[in-house]
Amino acid sequence: MTEVAVRVDRLEKTLGSNRVLRGISFEAHSGEIFGLLGPNGAGKTTTLRVICTLLAPDTGSVEVLGFDTRSAPQEVRRRVGVVTAEFGVYPRLTARENIAYFAQLSGVGRAREERTPGLDGELARKVDAVIERLDIGEFAKQRAETLSSGQKQKVAIARAIVHDPPVLMFDEPTSNLDVLASREIRQFMVESKGRGKCVIFSTHVLHDAERLCDRVTIIHQGRVVASGSTAEVRGGFQDLEDSFLSLVEAAK
Amino acid sequence: MSALAIVFNKEIREILRDRRTLIAIALAVLATPTVLFVIAQVSTRTATQTYTVGYSGEIPAGLDVLFNATGLRLERVEDPAAAAKTEVDIGIVFTSAGLDEYYDPTRQSAQIADIRVQTILAQYDAAKIAATLQQKGLDPSILNPLPVSVHPLSSPVKAAGNSFLSFFLPYILITMSLTGGLSAALDTSAGERERRTLESLLLTPAPRGQVLIGKLLAVSLLSLVAAVAAIGSMLIALSQISFGLSGGADARVSLTPLAAAVMVWLAVLLAASFSSLTIALGTLARNFRQGQAYATPLYFITIFPASIVLFIPDFNPSLAYYLIPILNAVLVLRDAITHNTVSWGPLVVTSASLLLTGGLCFYAALRLFTREALLVRS
Repeated sequence: MTEVAVRVDRLEKTLGSNRVLRGISFEAHSGEIFGLLGPNGAGKTTTLRVICTLLAPDTGSVEVLGFDTRSAPQEVRRRVGVVTAEFGVYPRLTARENIAYFAQLSGVGRAREERTPGLDGELARKVDAVIERLDIGEFAKQRAETLSSGQKQKVAIARAIVHDPPVLMFDEPTSNLDVLASREIRQFMVESKGRGKCVIFSTHVLHDAERLCDRVTIIHQGRVVASGSTAEVRGGFQDLEDSFLSLVEAAK
Repeated sequence: MSALAIVFNKEIREILRDRRTLIAIALAVLATPTVLFVIAQVSTRTATQTYTVGYSGEIPAGLDVLFNATGLRLERVEDPAAAAKTEVDIGIVFTSAGLDEYYDPTRQSAQIADIRVQTILAQYDAAKIAATLQQKGLDPSILNPLPVSVHPLSSPVKAAGNSFLSFFLPYILITMSLTGGLSAALDTSAGERERRTLESLLLTPAPRGQVLIGKLLAVSLLSLVAAVAAIGSMLIALSQISFGLSGGADARVSLTPLAAAVMVWLAVLLAASFSSLTIALGTLARNFRQGQAYATPLYFITIFPASIVLFIPDFNPSLAYYLIPILNAVLVLRDAITHNTVSWGPLVVTSASLLLTGGLCFYAALRLFTREALLVRS
């Protein structure tokens, strides 16, 4: 059994008057793609936001590689990279500058940089490596305001992974992308899994989840309605979508 | 490099690439000398302009010479009252008993012509009376039993210049401290949320306090540069422009080193306070436009305190008034410019008040910046 990278235990969260999460529990492991599935409004994004410390849990707990999100939020942030459908980038910075900015804030190359200031040394190498890995070189020196949606999404991924986090979370990453760009994102997730990363993939596109995920948890109205390997959750149904619809209907 | 320095560098880089902000500041810096130049031109023209007096009847001997010497051109007309409405600046009917004057007070040229006519007539009357008294063997000085010799301790022209500067400089300083960094402040707070970069920024392990201070320093620096540049351009313009006043070099307005030092110190405090305030408002806003709506009332803050100096020049309040932010800066600057002195009590109270205001605004911005609602609302 691989290492537990993310442990969510009886998580509850209320936003305003809306009780969004009602006791969510699951574990995601290193070296797997874990699917967090559910219809819109089920609580997927809120769950991810709690995991990455943007929101604090009301009750229950979340641990990332042994660090509690409440007591050690900065340790958690060092170990997590998040890609969402909203690939906000700084328009007046170049693609490379956008990536380098987040790398610096994540502490990449800080120890080396004291000896070699600027973008030399470790920081430059890490930024260059991620630019090469995601094939960004062609537009690395272009200002972000001139990039296409697919190119911006690549920059968003690059800034999320430039500090080489062991946990990667993708929240509906392909919803604003065309077919080719979506395929690249899927390939990237598979590649990250191969590198031993824990990849949490939140989506309502069940076709993608069925193809990519090793294990899935389906949540509906803030509760877990099914959890297990993709095959287990699909059960006797023809595909995951039929299983999902049946589970959601039963949960009503 | 600390998170503070990383954020500061990035914000400055973005500001320097934002043409709109740079053009707005450049225009503000150029606008002040331009306005002053226009004012000086109008003022000089007004002082040297010749006005037309439409008259009928016989002009008393010698009076026409005085009219011509004072920039009043005499022109005979049929009906001076009718002509004074549009054709000429002022109308006069000379009669054997004296004269009737007609002018339209709504016309500025008529007002100026009237003042000149009254001055000439007073001089003419005085000269006539003196001549008559001398003819009768009397000393004309009996009409002036208590002669007065005025000895101004400083140049009246310089005082007029300082009075002008004591209103205009605080106004420019406060306006530019606010508007110079406003766009950048909203861009770095509300814009961060609107562009959807806020979440990514908060996901980094960088301490949020440092992130906010980095933003604050960048915006404050921009505000300070804008304010100092605008005032610098204004002072350069004032050193080159004469406002049609007599007095030669004295007629040019300048700032003493003491007043300049006080101004720079207050500019630093105002820039920091306004930056904290506008970043707090921007953090509260959902987007740039909403941030602008929140910041609009701040423009009034820049107008009212400076107006007090304009409308109540002798306003000498107690020390408690120096606790009121913005107004206190205006009062300290006024004192430094008009009296060339700095009272330490008001300056200390003013500095403490502005630092406290800036600190409170920063605390509010930090609280807003770290609230979950910030992300949930976005």
